[in-house]
Amino acid sequence: MVALERELKETPQPVAAPTTADAIPLALRRRGASARQVLAMTIVGVLALALLASRDLPSWVGRLGDGPVAERAQTLATEWDDAMERFGLTRPHEALRAWISWALDVRW
Amino acid sequence: MLFPTLGFLLFFLIVAAAMAVLDTRFAAKKAVLVIASYYFYAQWDWRFCFLLAASSVLSYLAGQLIDAAPDQRRRQTILGIAVALHLGLLGFFKYFDFFVSSANQLARLLGLEHELPFIEILLPVGISFFTFHGISYITDVYRGDVAVCRNPLDMLLYMSFFPQLVAGPIVRAAYFLPQLARPSAEPIPIGPALLLILVGLFKKVVIANYVATGLVDPVFSAPTSYGGPDLLLATYGYAVQIYCDFSAYSDMAIALAALLGFRFPANFNQPYRAQRLREFWQRWHISLSTWLRDYLYKPLGGNREGRLKTYRNLLLTMLLGGLWHGAAWKFIAWGALHGGGLAVERMLEPWIGRRALTPAAKIIATLVVFHFVCLAWIFFRAEDFAMASLYIGGLASGWGGGLQQAGPLVVALIALGLAGQFTPDALFDRAAIAFARVPSWGLGATAGIVVALINALGPEGVAPFIYFRF
Repeated sequence: MVALERELKETPQPVAAPTTADAIPLALRRRGASARQVLAMTIVGVLALALLASRDLPSWVGRLGDGPVAERAQTLATEWDDAMERFGLTRPHEALRAWISWALDVRW
Repeated sequence: MLFPTLGFLLFFLIVAAAMAVLDTRFAAKKAVLVIASYYFYAQWDWRFCFLLAASSVLSYLAGQLIDAAPDQRRRQTILGIAVALHLGLLGFFKYFDFFVSSANQLARLLGLEHELPFIEILLPVGISFFTFHGISYITDVYRGDVAVCRNPLDMLLYMSFFPQLVAGPIVRAAYFLPQLARPSAEPIPIGPALLLILVGLFKKVVIANYVATGLVDPVFSAPTSYGGPDLLLATYGYAVQIYCDFSAYSDMAIALAALLGFRFPANFNQPYRAQRLREFWQRWHISLSTWLRDYLYKPLGGNREGRLKTYRNLLLTMLLGGLWHGAAWKFIAWGALHGGGLAVERMLEPWIGRRALTPAAKIIATLVVFHFVCLAWIFFRAEDFAMASLYIGGLASGWGGGLQQAGPLVVALIALGLAGQFTPDALFDRAAIAFARVPSWGLGATAGIVVALINALGPEGVAPFIYFRF
């Protein structure tokens, strides 16, 4: 009986069901992935960003701080950005930046 | 550390790697999430972590004591002390300087020379949200709505889980703690989660940022320099900005939690399509409005004690909801407008409540509610009450010139933000299902490309989310 009581105490169940609706409804949660697939997706996403958003990398690394490691990281980030520029991968970024800055300047 | 930054992406990459490596070891996963959450919080100020830990310990101990108390009176006393301590912490950090300033003003009026010193307290980010989590847990244990949490790790994670830590949604203990009791058997909804992140990023980085810098900030900082058209458009602009900013944070929080294997409640549901003010509050910041309903409006008596007391309770709840946003008259005015509006709507219930609306009446009702909400947003956004009055005065008079401040791009973004309120739910569902069919590497590549495009479209650097300061 004591063991049963302890077990009951150690596996709490909510008395009232929550009334709030899930943000992602059940119908959309049926298909899914594992934690490993989430990791794979994140790694591929980071690589794609490294290739296509290299223009912002040097300024982001620059905000990490001072010191020899930060300096080396800054140099690497700049070299990486230069390499992406040589491959033409910074063109979409620059084209969009130019378009948005033109669109912001347009007046009625 | 803001969600839409490279720093956060790398942080999330490490957390995702830990979740993948730990796989079925659920307790270890929870421990990693607690460490990650405290690291995330320490990025603002490491000293805040002690406050978060203290709030968690207080909630944990109060829950244990309430559960062990032999009689109702003692349970009630413990509940009262614990809630008072939580509110005391919140009040100290949020309202101390306001009270000192008010006391000093009173002292000057009474001719007293002695003044209390200001401490210039730094407001810990997200303090309101984890205080609400703590109060809801203790109250739910007291009411018997949730079983007491016996695992300290679960309590630490419930209070600190990083996706919702600094700006919600407010996740109730009854909703979240059962998810910590055992690992979810469901797969991770990677498609809908990714779609939420991309939509949220676009809303924050492109719409909210450009509407703020291109129109709302300049017009609200000097309303007397602008005519009626700019003032009106900036009011619509702020309605779009605050929605896109805050709902973007919620979208991303929900998605990040989903990618880590947890469910969060819905927090926004196209609020500007509401046809009643009550419906607006069922669609806007749902986790806060239901929290206020369950822990403030209902304990005050709700609608159980006659009509007059119902109106009083609505007004009090919204006034306190306004005051929660900050100790300023403008927030009190915002709360009073909403509380008064809800009370008037309740008063008119016998005439407007039971009739089915014609399509034209639905459009008119939506426009009336939207403009009422916009009027209240003027008080919310203005520097202070006096500036809000000037702004409204300008709206009522200067309609001579055309638009000076807003260009076509900003107008288009406002229109896009408003159009998003009327898209059918099925559109998101269909896109999420289509996303779910793509293999994970394909999703990663798609996400990387879209994020790079959004990043290129947005301004350099991201402004903090509006609700961080609350």
